[in-house]
Amino acid sequence: METETDQIYHLDVGNLLGFNPNHRFPSAPSSREELVKECLEESRKLVQAIANALFNFTSTETNDGPIVQLPPPTTKLPREKHVPRPKPPTKWEEFALKKGIQKRKKDKVVWDEQTDQFKRRHGYDRVNDDNDVPIIEAKATDEPGEDPFAKRLDEKKKRVGKQQKNRLQNLKAAEKAGALPSHVQLAATSLPISGTKSQPKKIGKDELGDVAGLAATSTASGGKFDKKLPGEKAPKKQGKHHKYLPVVAGRGAVNPEKEQTNNVLSKIFSKHSHEILNVGKAINMYNVKKEKKKSGRSDKSGRSDKSGRSDKLKPKKDITKKPANKAK
Amino acid sequence: MRPLDETETTVVFEKLFKFVGNNLKKIVENPSDEGPESTPGSYCFRLQKNRVYYVSDALVKRATNISRKNLVSLGTCIGKYTHAGSFHLTIMSLNILAANAKHKVWLKPTSEMSFLYGNHVLKGGLGRITDSIVPGDGVVVFSMSDVPLGFGIAAKSTQDCRKLDPNGIVVLHQADIGEYLRDEDEL
Repeated sequence: METETDQIYHLDVGNLLGFNPNHRFPSAPSSREELVKECLEESRKLVQAIANALFNFTSTETNDGPIVQLPPPTTKLPREKHVPRPKPPTKWEEFALKKGIQKRKKDKVVWDEQTDQFKRRHGYDRVNDDNDVPIIEAKATDEPGEDPFAKRLDEKKKRVGKQQKNRLQNLKAAEKAGALPSHVQLAATSLPISGTKSQPKKIGKDELGDVAGLAATSTASGGKFDKKLPGEKAPKKQGKHHKYLPVVAGRGAVNPEKEQTNNVLSKIFSKHSHEILNVGKAINMYNVKKEKKKSGRSDKSGRSDKSGRSDKLKPKKDITKKPANKAK
Repeated sequence: MRPLDETETTVVFEKLFKFVGNNLKKIVENPSDEGPESTPGSYCFRLQKNRVYYVSDALVKRATNISRKNLVSLGTCIGKYTHAGSFHLTIMSLNILAANAKHKVWLKPTSEMSFLYGNHVLKGGLGRITDSIVPGDGVVVFSMSDVPLGFGIAAKSTQDCRKLDPNGIVVLHQADIGEYLRDEDEL
């Protein structure tokens, strides 16, 4: 009977998601605990359904246990960010639209008339490079004192400048419409990033002071001979601040200079402390003593007490005492 | 004149440690007998114009009466700082080093003059040498009559010295008492 009235769950195993579209509360739940209990019961059934589906897949055995490859998810999740807004056409695009100019695909390699070979359009060793022109013929309109090569460079600079200005205008128009390209949006720190609620960072008084100081000193003469604006204060002392100990020790119990020298001394000694014990020498001494003992004992068993007595008479070398200051 | 700052003190002590090792403690805490006060002061290091002086407390107190421009020297100058901040020991620290040296080298009378002219110590000129020297250690050079002649850096360990040919360099020269005559202006 239960299987017949079993609701069909919508399972999205790719997202491990289970959804019961036909659930109805049989009665208005009396209390919060009742509601929670019912929800938990329903969700238990859903989780059971997901688990059943998972175990129905073919699994591969690995060291960590059976692994199942999930199918791709079927639910469509909402977008994180908004759809890109349409940006206003740039000046050139408007013009092209008006005149009916089509975009043509350009080749990377172009035939160069001067040196009869194919050269690339942009970059190293390009077609029609301005630097390669050997002779510019004088026209009737040219003045005698003018340098045509310099004139060419000037014109190029002007063209580039004009292009930059146009680009800036296009970006401003796009920003107004809210459609700045993302790399420009991230670089423009004064504008808030669309989609986040972050406020543009406000600069505090100290930061402003620092920046003003930086700007004031970044002139050719280090900002020394500039006229001060009305209300501008002299900069605070810049450069390193050195606090030196007093030349003669004061009357107090604590002598800071002595403390400092002691600190430094202890640091140096601890750094070189591994050199105090000459390990090689200590090992040699120990081995020699051991061998002497061995030879003394073996002789004792065979010969007279002469060697044994001599051992006792010799001053015993205490191996536990480290050879002091026998450093390298 | 001012006391040394922490980095400066470390640099000086490191250099001294190379020559005197643990006797550094003795140098730093040497009780001094100068001055009319009954309580013994001790020696301290003071910096004046890139030179480090080893001077007793009593003397320092009196030297504060002289203005910086007029103060030329006080106590014993042990060395100078270079522009980059590293420290070089000069010959005038020889007394202190010789009294507390850890590694000593004695020169034969024939090669004394060569060392005093500023040359390095060759194996042929070596009379005696303390053992357990590591290359790079500071070494004080004596004559056979135990007169300190100068100091330098060991180029070879004691073991390697034995195997060296007679023209091999044993101690690289750093300072010698001949400098009092040669470099009179620079000291």
